[in-house]
Amino acid sequence: MSIPSLFAATIPLLCGLIGVLLSCMPVSLTGGMVPPPLLGFMPVYFWCLIRPDLMPAAVAFAVGLAQDLLTGGPVGLWTASFIASYAFVDRQRDSFAGLAGIGAILGFALAMLIVSGAAFVIGWVYFWHVPPVTPLLLQVAVSVLCYIPVLPVLHWVQQRVVGPLRSEF
Amino acid sequence: MANGTWRIARSRSSAQLPLVLSAVLALLLLVAGKAHFGPFERARTAITDKAAPALQAVNVPVVAATRWAGGIRHFFDVYSDNQRLREENARLLQWHSAAVTLQSQIRHYQLLLKTVPDPSYSAVTAKVIARSSQPFLETIVLNAGRREGVKPGQAVVDVRGLVGRIYVAGERTSWVIVLNDLNSRVPVLIRPGNVQAILTGTNATEPNLEALPQNAKLKNGEEVVTSGDGGLLPPGLPVGLVSVSGGEIKAALFADPLTAGEVRILNFTSPIEQMPKPSDKDLPAPPVTPPSPQASAVQQPSEAPKPTAQTVHTVASALAASPRPTRTAPHPTRHAVQPGTEPADQARQPDDTAPNPTDDQNDQ
Repeated sequence: MSIPSLFAATIPLLCGLIGVLLSCMPVSLTGGMVPPPLLGFMPVYFWCLIRPDLMPAAVAFAVGLAQDLLTGGPVGLWTASFIASYAFVDRQRDSFAGLAGIGAILGFALAMLIVSGAAFVIGWVYFWHVPPVTPLLLQVAVSVLCYIPVLPVLHWVQQRVVGPLRSEF
Repeated sequence: MANGTWRIARSRSSAQLPLVLSAVLALLLLVAGKAHFGPFERARTAITDKAAPALQAVNVPVVAATRWAGGIRHFFDVYSDNQRLREENARLLQWHSAAVTLQSQIRHYQLLLKTVPDPSYSAVTAKVIARSSQPFLETIVLNAGRREGVKPGQAVVDVRGLVGRIYVAGERTSWVIVLNDLNSRVPVLIRPGNVQAILTGTNATEPNLEALPQNAKLKNGEEVVTSGDGGLLPPGLPVGLVSVSGGEIKAALFADPLTAGEVRILNFTSPIEQMPKPSDKDLPAPPVTPPSPQASAVQQPSEAPKPTAQTVHTVASALAASPRPTRTAPHPTRHAVQPGTEPADQARQPDDTAPNPTDDQNDQ
């Protein structure tokens, strides 16, 4: 594998890590009323659908682990949630990949619901305390809304950066 | 056909292997995290330390853009804001003067009553470089760590009140568990009834007040402060106000961790940093004829009909005129301790009147 293609293979991981970093910023456009979107999960979902070879389970694991480590939560909570959603999307890839327009957004919404549902169950067992549902639903809603402008950016990265760098394939 | 099916099944199972491994590893991480496995915490702090420059770098443009956008929004309010701030500044100057006077009076009374001095503590000012407002946790990351003397358990305050406490300290960064986090438990005192309670975070805006006495009757607006039980947090730090609604007793917090930009980490246990001792040139010139202890003792009480000596005048004028306590104020008050003191205390007097750099620090 050449260096450019190796670099291209790391771009989804880098995008995920940048998303995690951005979601940790101490700036809230809503004054803290709404939790920040799960920006780290967007590249995981996107590349899991269109280029699963660039988004293996290990990369999803790494992004989830970064989310856990940089948000200060229980180690493994978001990792396991990302992996659960990844497994679902991976199994239903044909259905998800065929979606376009609003369907693509709804597909991401479903994946987000699985992530949040898994996090809810894990958080419940971990803390032995029913976590509040409203912030989770708000986070799903915000993430879905943010996916709309992020999707073209991810498409651009895939078509203009990742694609040319891996042109030998 | 059978072979083909077998091949497909084999390839599928081999493709699923990393996924299964990742899932198992994630569950193991959860179990190890629940067991407070030490290396995880160290790895977390090490990664945060390494990520701190990246977090700060990412913050710079976003914070600048936010400030710029905020500047545009406030551009048209500059004149009214300026007027308001001028009035507020004038009002605060009056309060400052009153506070300085009261502070000196309290010190005077403490000396008279020989009260145990309040515990003093140093503080480290740190910037918030990351914030996590997830559904399960409310934490912030500060750019100060063990290198600056930060330790787990220390209180974190902003200008309004208690924000939270440190729960993990790395070399250059530290994590703060804020008061409304699900895992936060802080012993508090509700004034004026001195009712003890535990402030329990629920990830909602207002944490609950739990473990209240059965006969406790609380009203909206009563002040919640730290009780200091356990010895980790200093007592008396402002936390919030009681908010009773629908049978639930909550605390409306003074501090907002979501908007806090700079915070102070209080080192409650370590002694305060000592200032360098002033040289002889820094000290005020001694009076030509210092009043005798008996004379100053008679002159000191404020109810004295004729406070002729300059000591009382010195206190009043110094407090009224100076923007901050000066070194001239404490001397007369310390002389005033003498008449009520025992001989042993009087023998200790020269040490007490010696310049104490800690006083300066406390004044600041």
